[in-house]
Amino acid sequence: MTRAGKHKICESIDKEGEQLENYTKYKLKEHDELVSVLADKDNLFIIACNKCFKEFETIDEPDCGEFEKIVAEQGKNVVGTAKVDFLCNKVQTEKKLQDMIPDGAENIFVISCGLGIQTVADLAGKPVFAASNSLNYTGHHGMALTKKSCDACAQCYLNITGGICPIVDCSKSLVNGQCGGAKNGKCEVDGEKDCAWEKIYRRLEKQGRLQEFLDQPVQVRDYSKVNFKVVQDYVKSIRENRLDGYYGGVHPSERKEFSEHLALERFPEPQTVVIPLSQHAGAPANPIVQVGDTVKVGQKIGEAAAFISSPIHSSVSGKVIAIEPRPHATRGECLSVVIQSDGKNTLHESVKPNKDLDSLTPDEIVDIVREAGIVGMGGAGFPTAVKLKPAKPVDTILLNGCECEPLLTADHRVLLEFADDVIYGLKAIIKTVGAEKGIIVIEDNKPDAIELLQAKTADISDIEVVVAKTKYPQGAEKMLIKRVMGRQVPRGGLPADVGCVVSNISTTKAISDAIQKGMPLIERVVTVTGEKIKKPGNYIVKIGTNVKDLIDYCGGVTDEDVTIKSGGPMMGFDLPNVNVPIMKGSNGIIAIETDHTVEEACIKCGRCVDVCPMELSPLYFAKYADEQNWQGMKDKNVMDCIECRCCEYICSSKIPLVSKIKAGKSAVREMK
Amino acid sequence: MKITELFERGEFVVSAEVGPPKGIHIEHLLEEAKTYLSGITAVNVTDNQSSVMRLGSLATCKALKDEGLTPIFQITCRDRNRIALQSDILSAAMLGIENLLLLTGDHTKMGDHPQAKPVFDLDSVSLIHTVKKLEEGEDLGGNKLVGEPPKFAKGAVVSPCSDSVDSQLAKMERKVRAGADYFQTQAVYEPEKFIKFMEKAKQFGKPVQLGIVIPKSAGMAKYMNDNVAGIHVPQEMIDELKKDKEKTKAGITGVEIAARIIKECKPYCQGVHIMALGWESKVPELLKQAGI
Amino acid sequence: MLITQLKSKETIASLVDGKKVFVINCHGCKEVHFPEKEAVELEKELAADGKLTGVITTDYICNPDNMKLRLEKHMSEIEAADVVLVLSCGVGVQTIAEYFEEKKVCAACDTYPLPGYQGVTPLEYDCDQCGECYLNLTGGICPITACSKSLVNGQCGGSKNGKCEVDGDMECGWERIYRRLAQLGRLDVLKCPTQIRNFATDDEVSK
Repeated sequence: MTRAGKHKICESIDKEGEQLENYTKYKLKEHDELVSVLADKDNLFIIACNKCFKEFETIDEPDCGEFEKIVAEQGKNVVGTAKVDFLCNKVQTEKKLQDMIPDGAENIFVISCGLGIQTVADLAGKPVFAASNSLNYTGHHGMALTKKSCDACAQCYLNITGGICPIVDCSKSLVNGQCGGAKNGKCEVDGEKDCAWEKIYRRLEKQGRLQEFLDQPVQVRDYSKVNFKVVQDYVKSIRENRLDGYYGGVHPSERKEFSEHLALERFPEPQTVVIPLSQHAGAPANPIVQVGDTVKVGQKIGEAAAFISSPIHSSVSGKVIAIEPRPHATRGECLSVVIQSDGKNTLHESVKPNKDLDSLTPDEIVDIVREAGIVGMGGAGFPTAVKLKPAKPVDTILLNGCECEPLLTADHRVLLEFADDVIYGLKAIIKTVGAEKGIIVIEDNKPDAIELLQAKTADISDIEVVVAKTKYPQGAEKMLIKRVMGRQVPRGGLPADVGCVVSNISTTKAISDAIQKGMPLIERVVTVTGEKIKKPGNYIVKIGTNVKDLIDYCGGVTDEDVTIKSGGPMMGFDLPNVNVPIMKGSNGIIAIETDHTVEEACIKCGRCVDVCPMELSPLYFAKYADEQNWQGMKDKNVMDCIECRCCEYICSSKIPLVSKIKAGKSAVREMK
Repeated sequence: MKITELFERGEFVVSAEVGPPKGIHIEHLLEEAKTYLSGITAVNVTDNQSSVMRLGSLATCKALKDEGLTPIFQITCRDRNRIALQSDILSAAMLGIENLLLLTGDHTKMGDHPQAKPVFDLDSVSLIHTVKKLEEGEDLGGNKLVGEPPKFAKGAVVSPCSDSVDSQLAKMERKVRAGADYFQTQAVYEPEKFIKFMEKAKQFGKPVQLGIVIPKSAGMAKYMNDNVAGIHVPQEMIDELKKDKEKTKAGITGVEIAARIIKECKPYCQGVHIMALGWESKVPELLKQAGI
Repeated sequence: MLITQLKSKETIASLVDGKKVFVINCHGCKEVHFPEKEAVELEKELAADGKLTGVITTDYICNPDNMKLRLEKHMSEIEAADVVLVLSCGVGVQTIAEYFEEKKVCAACDTYPLPGYQGVTPLEYDCDQCGECYLNLTGGICPITACSKSLVNGQCGGSKNGKCEVDGDMECGWERIYRRLAQLGRLDVLKCPTQIRNFATDDEVSK
């Protein structure tokens, strides 16, 4: 492919003192050319792309109006028009096109860059015409909207030029020195432009590298290096990855090697536990003990306050020393029962094995689960007993062994070390909801767990193991169901709407403990990890254990420049105060490098739209949140957002999208 | 002499092809051409054929012309931009070379310098258009030429036995519209396909020379089937070549086959173009057998 | 948005030979190829030789403002190094090189173009931004990118069994165009005037 060195077409917008390049993607074709293309065509439908890599604004592009004027001037009938974001996003455009083009449309005119036109031409099934030319701007790749350029020559010369690109900066792309055409240091082709080789010479001189340059062998460009086959295969694979199983998603570095191989270790008995009465979705539990009471392991200390609520149990034996608001990981402060352990771990009388699974009725199992205080341990904390009585018939139980969050390895270890308990728990769920089968879904980055569970379930007719290709946020219910079952949970719906119940691995193990041992949910597996933790590990930790103690036990953090989070790097939340207790949903404590970047203006790169598994347009949420346009957020379906953070992860402008979305969600809730 | 003049007179035009050597010694090429090709109308000189770097086509054309032959200057768009192409075409006219064959050219990756930058500033159609403009006294940039403009016989190629004849015909039409005066075809081994093609190509009213590559062996036929665009040697023909095992008879069957194809196609075309690929010595015998 | 591939082991070895090195890894634009495993290997080797002064692994290093904030945290490590080795596309390397005018900044990767980078992440489509869109003449298939030779007047004749002469796995772009036009009943557009590319259009078009 010939790729001529061309000029960048952009204009700078002065925005709060910062220069934001505005890259014009396309320009309407010349009037005469359009008139001739239009000559024998009528009944037009016009589609315009809202452009990208530019300041994000929600006004119509001027090209559309101009074109409509020309069409009117030629006396043509326009059956409709549409303005679309990221027309080149094939999956979304295909959906949008379905009910966009009216029957009477005979010819479709597209105002877009060549990508958008080709997308429509492929999908429309009617003659499609380009009303615009794409414009060339070399090298805004990557972050875009910077003036840096790279022509992707596949043979980087920056090492011999002091980091100035001779391919882009020299009009002739010379690689052995200047052509001699420069006048007063300016390029012979463009008098405004500095001669690239003058710049290179000066930079090398400054670095004392002139001899190195002179000693270089003669450079001869190898144009065969740009191997389009490699590129095409790569693009194909990345598209497949992106659309594999469900739309969107990302592949963050897993970094599970810190802890995935480390066997579970019991965290030393805490001296004091602080057990919050709110560790679940719904109403906080009501305390049923008093200061001074003696309590035992597994004793109920808080009673569920409503249908959506959960009881709370003591994780130690000892004495209640306070019932007062204490710091809480997500709620600021929360009424908590503080118990001083006597170190004896005396079991409460209520902790005793139940009947075996075959003898229990579904209602009995639901009661056991409710009384054991079991809630979703993946973080959401929804009471499991409620989930086990779905309003609609359920045929399949999905056991979520994806653990798609980077760093976390808690579920992985539970699968390896408590496989029998997990299978027992799954059987209990199948029985309770009357499902036909259970599927344990494990991502392909945990081959040991896959092998073990496959072996253990080989003889169980209604349980199978499904291996899923790694992709975040696979563990999100809706994505998991789409990937494994091919079913789409309707907007605002629940898994039961499509005949599924999804359960977390640790939760399932807790169900097994509740039935087999009669033990309520008083401890859980927590991964303590991250590049800033001195001694990462997977620990069995009692609910109410202080996070700071846990971190200290792991050797503390390597330095002060650290961010501590509860949960994984994607969906976890910051813990500015580590003096908070481990709760039922605390699957990990991570210490990672602090992100010192700052929010910059949206450049409309479209990546957030490309990765959003709910197929939303997150860039609008950022814009509308800043404008406090809550209605706009509602119209863009902000309530469908699952807060997986893919958009924020991919955002090149480092916009804190999730917090803006959360603000929008609570504002929308108040609107009702 | 322009070969178009011969077509106009209704002559059956025979041309053959030579490939310049990788080096500057051209004596052998001239000797072969004089010995075996002096009886035919014109000799094509390939332009870095298959993207393999060789002695220049234009210089070889001039040498052939000095020996009294009529050269056809082949020009591809692979190695030159529009400035160099126009300049070389003017040079040809200045040297008295009046026959051109205008091609797009193989990709650089096919040859012995795969690292080279392929140019393709123009393509075959726009190159024909460009030559036509030069003939009208203007270059592609719209600037007037000084003095009398050059005149050429502007040749182009077409692939009649290609997998998709329709799109070949469409391209041929574009070449005709751009100004092509005559066509040489890719090697033909399936006369019935060629005849069908010619029935459709007739409408353009431009002379077509049947392309012939003498099949040297069954192996060569199979190689062409697997690797060369627009060529398909039927299985019967390959079987026929296989039988030709006896060394003394080597080549005879190939020449027989080629002659048969020419005879069969002759009523439908205006000439024949023989790509001997080193078998220049067999050309006189081939023409004799074909009755030309 | 581009693809990067690590330069050969020998080339990298020659860049860091006997020098103290600070490494900057760019995860690219997240979903774009980044030789992560190879980078880790390289860092291990350098660390084993005691030549590594520090590492930054991050994203979008081509964003100069945010990159400055990150670099500032590592200044002493960078000052201790003779060479800053950057694993990123050419844009990233230049961003770093500009920041450290007086330090040797080296590229450890070669950069490959990625079709469709103009829009959202890698796409199946390519647009070469030629500034004179040919899609109206081709039924919406780009001849500049779908044809190895970027021909605009029809096929070169080099395709074999409908496959490109340059890449046997690639369909001939002009075969596809012809089929599409036939399907749309628009073969008449092939009768358009001879197309001649204008490699200098940008400036005119932008006026």
